[in-house]
Amino acid sequence: MTDPISKGLLPEGFRDRLPPQAEAAADLLRTLLDQVSAHGYERVSPPLVEFEDSLVTRLSSARPQDLLRFVDPLSQRTLALRPDITAQVGRIAATRMAHIARPLRLAYGGPVLRVRPAQVGPQREAMQMGAELIGSDHVDAVAELLGIALEALSAAGLTDMSVDLTLPDLVGTLAAGPWPVTAPLADVQTALDGKDAAALQALGAAQYSTLIEAAGPADTALARLKALGAAGALDTRIAGLERLVATAAPHAAVTIDPTERHGFEYQTWIGFSVFAAGVRGEVGRGGTYLVRHPGGGEETAVGFSLYVDGLVDAGLGASRRRRLFVPLGEAAQAAKLRAEGWTTVAALTDVDTPARLRCDYALKNGELIKL
Amino acid sequence: MKTELVFAIPKGRILEEALPLLARAGIEPEPAFADESSRALQFATNVPGLSLIRVRAFDVATFVAHGAADLGIAGNDVLMEFAYSEIYAPVDLGIGHCRLSVAEPAEMAAGDDPRSWSHVRVATKYPNLTSQHFAARGVQAECVKLNGAMELAPRLGLTQRIVDLVSSGRTLKENGLVEVEKIADVTSRLIVNRAAFKTKAAAIAPWIERFREAAGAA
Repeated sequence: MTDPISKGLLPEGFRDRLPPQAEAAADLLRTLLDQVSAHGYERVSPPLVEFEDSLVTRLSSARPQDLLRFVDPLSQRTLALRPDITAQVGRIAATRMAHIARPLRLAYGGPVLRVRPAQVGPQREAMQMGAELIGSDHVDAVAELLGIALEALSAAGLTDMSVDLTLPDLVGTLAAGPWPVTAPLADVQTALDGKDAAALQALGAAQYSTLIEAAGPADTALARLKALGAAGALDTRIAGLERLVATAAPHAAVTIDPTERHGFEYQTWIGFSVFAAGVRGEVGRGGTYLVRHPGGGEETAVGFSLYVDGLVDAGLGASRRRRLFVPLGEAAQAAKLRAEGWTTVAALTDVDTPARLRCDYALKNGELIKL
Repeated sequence: MKTELVFAIPKGRILEEALPLLARAGIEPEPAFADESSRALQFATNVPGLSLIRVRAFDVATFVAHGAADLGIAGNDVLMEFAYSEIYAPVDLGIGHCRLSVAEPAEMAAGDDPRSWSHVRVATKYPNLTSQHFAARGVQAECVKLNGAMELAPRLGLTQRIVDLVSSGRTLKENGLVEVEKIADVTSRLIVNRAAFKTKAAAIAPWIERFREAAGAA
């Protein structure tokens, strides 16, 4: 029996990207970053690995067991591979760029790694790109980021998008104010995560099931949220939602789900996720959050992350380059054609043919021929 | 553009109770659907763009979690076993009432004190749920996964205890078993894929309303 690893078996959750998907992934990342940088977001590039403590303390959502950790043979300290770049950008903003005037607009793109794959979709490695605005969580800043995210995704070729808006701290606010609960708040939130009306009933928090019923297309959801009243606790949030619905509406269908927490464990007043036809799960998500400073202070921020892999799997970015076969002896003309945007594939020996080198065009006696 | 929706219905026990509920919500499947001997897999309904699939109860959750089906009917036993974050369960349909319980042979139960357990060996269809339940009270559960005929396990010495659905308790009694502990009450829920709930909101929200009404009217 042959050793499966010698045949290329990869660890669970990892894969090779081959042509043309590898090219598509790189092109899509480039397109998204270009869109973001056109709005003044400057690129930062944090490392793949950090001290475990640094990643855990800055990323409220990551527990040590969610990180892929190892002991550094040099320093004997525990290092971890990043599961998310947002927290690293927060670290940069709070340390090396703490003295730069706010708002600070930063962009990034690179691979991240999770210990456990999500339940649906087996991948443990993902290509994340995103933009963060540090120094504000005002609705104007959120609208800027949401608009940029949708513009960038359109530019990447995504159609049929839908945006889901959520209020991550709503349940906590209601429980602390007009809608007190006797059951542990965590149990109520778990029931809301599964939109489990029966469990809420059992917890004596039946009032909260009106929030499940309020989830849906933006117009009906807003009407139902307004009808809840909730002693004015919701007024500013509803105004914020209306503003963002207007921002997203030209690009996408908009839904509101006031209790969605999935992926919003560290967001503050607002979160959004983007879905699209043909892409499984979220294309990306964003929202407001807090950046922690070394002295213990906190700073408001808003940002989004997009995941490139879903776009590649949906077949986007695969603009197949025109491969032009250059036979022996015609190399001189190839340089000129490359400058015109052609991809040239040179024959090395006379065994090479356009078909063997997967070309759609060939150069023959100075003439371009489509095959 | 008409949104296509796929609704997954569990075979067997729940199917009979689900059909009147579907009818109250306004869904009439094609005649072959209720015919257990039909070999078809996907069935049309009187609603354009809505089709039904008939699969095993556990597979309903799998189809819906992965978005292969948009809607489904599943017991909270199945939902708790998988704990899929991609499934919403917005309506308790109030059908398929039963409970998930620990059972053991009557003669064993007579001299058994659950407080003294540190390790139990259990035959079950629900290994995750069972080990979580016992772990929560500090007991390590060694689960033997079976897909049916759980009651045979104690009789043939595979395991002493079982965790299974109990409705009348007759099957347990016939096999000399008694229920010693209830883990959860079980009913069937309307379940929805999380992404579909958002991307097909305009098509799915009215169905949730109709099932809420249909379940309330029962």
